This record gives sequence, structure tokens and C-alpha cells, in this order.
Amino acid sequence: MAKSLGIFVSSPENLQHVIGITKAAKAKGSNVKVFFTWKATTLSKDPAFKSLCEMADDVSICVDSYKKQGFSIDDVPEGLTPKKMATQAQHGIIIEDFDCYLSL
Amino acid sequence: MKILNVYQSEPDETVQKLVQIVTRDREQDSFDLHAENPDYDTLVDKIFAADQTICWW
Amino acid sequence: MEYKKVCFMYRHKDYAIDGIRSALGLAVENMYSYGVVMDTEIDELDELTQESIEMLRDMEGDVYSTVPANVEKNGFEAITIEELGEKLREMTHIIPYGIK
Repeated sequence: MAKSLGIFVSSPENLQHVIGITKAAKAKGSNVKVFFTWKATTLSKDPAFKSLCEMADDVSICVDSYKKQGFSIDDVPEGLTPKKMATQAQHGIIIEDFDCYLSL
Repeated sequence: MKILNVYQSEPDETVQKLVQIVTRDREQDSFDLHAENPDYDTLVDKIFAADQTICWW
Repeated sequence: MEYKKVCFMYRHKDYAIDGIRSALGLAVENMYSYGVVMDTEIDELDELTQESIEMLRDMEGDVYSTVPANVEKNGFEAITIEELGEKLREMTHIIPYGIK
């Protein structure tokens, strides 16, 4: 059974890497969870973000960061649900519950 | 303990020094994420094989 | 149960404050959580961020800096690159945060 992978994204320059790594990990049967924080929450407005949400097992963003980047919390990015507009506790879950960890 | 160092850019002096200390007497591997068309499949294999992955700026 | 030890490193001033908040976020999840401001001098912290750092210290975490001006201005603990490297060896998770 493939190991699970948690990805913590804090750089707004890495969406293509997040997508590439998620795709490769899913092809190996891995459970993949991704959490975006701070300026990386702006990536949720990238047209490719929705495809990441469809591919990964779980995608969430830090809602406080999203608000600080100038977005309304009612403006839920395509691919997410209001429940996935979350807190740093999601990062804690990645660290505690996933076999492998990657920060990007 | 096997460490995987992933580089998002060419490692500068600071990163090189930290890597040298962190990996001292430990098994290590590396991956250049800044390469043109990085092989994500290989990267995921390396992540799964490592005990700890550090993705440097 | 073995507690996780996490160290964030910040090299860009636009990422340090929020990165400290991320470190606090893990401390409240029962992890040993540390932040290190490297290379860059940051402004004097606002009251809210100072309070976050105090909370982090109450939970046995801390914020360090390799830049003397940050130590003087914001009360961070001083650390050299060599000392940081040794500290990183003890960590279960190492997070070069944001961009440089």
C-alpha cells in the first residue's frame, strides 16, 4: 500500500509542482492532502486549482490568509466548499496523520 | 535516518551550510525541482523512500 | 506519544509575520514549534504578533533570528546559522517557508 502524502503550500509560485506531485502520487495509489496558507491562498484563483481539487483526496486553504489577501470569505474558490476554508489545524493534521510531508 | 533535500533553486551558501549540518552522518538524497520539466514520478518515489523531506527555497 | 518538533524558516520579510502565526498554529496542536527569521530585517512587530510570540513561548516554542537588528528590535532569540543547523537535526519537520 502506498504511503500517504501531505503537502503544505506557502509559496505562491508552486502550483504546477503541487499538481505534478499530486498527480504522480495519486498514480501510485497514495492518499494526498494539500493545505494552502498565506500568499499561496491566491493560487485558489488559478484556473488549474479546480483540477487539483478533483485529483487530490483533500484540499483546503487557510481562510484567514485568504481574507488577508483581499478576498471575501463568501467568495469560495471553484473546487472548494465553505468547509474547506479552514484553519492552521489542517497543517497539524498533515503533520500528525500523514506518512510523508512536503512543504512547497 | 534518510534525508531528501529538494531544491527549488540553486542552493546558496546558507542552504548549503544547513544541508551539510543536517545531513552530517546521515544517509541523503536530493532532487532538483528547478530543473526543466522535473520528473515528479521520481520525486514521489524519493519522498516515499526518505524518512524526512526538506524542500529548500 | 512522541511529540512532533517543527521549525519554520523565513527569508522574506513579507512572509515572516504570517509564518510566525503558522508556527503558533502548530504549537496549539501540541507540537514543539519554532520560527527563525533569516537574512532579512523586519519591522517592529505589532502588539498582536508580540502576543502570538508570547503564547508560542508559553507552549515551549520560540522565535529566533540570525539578524542582530531583529533580536534587538523584536526580542527574538539570537541564533547563528551553525546553531540553527544543529537545531534542525532535532526536528521531525523542517519548513523553509514562503519564498526567499
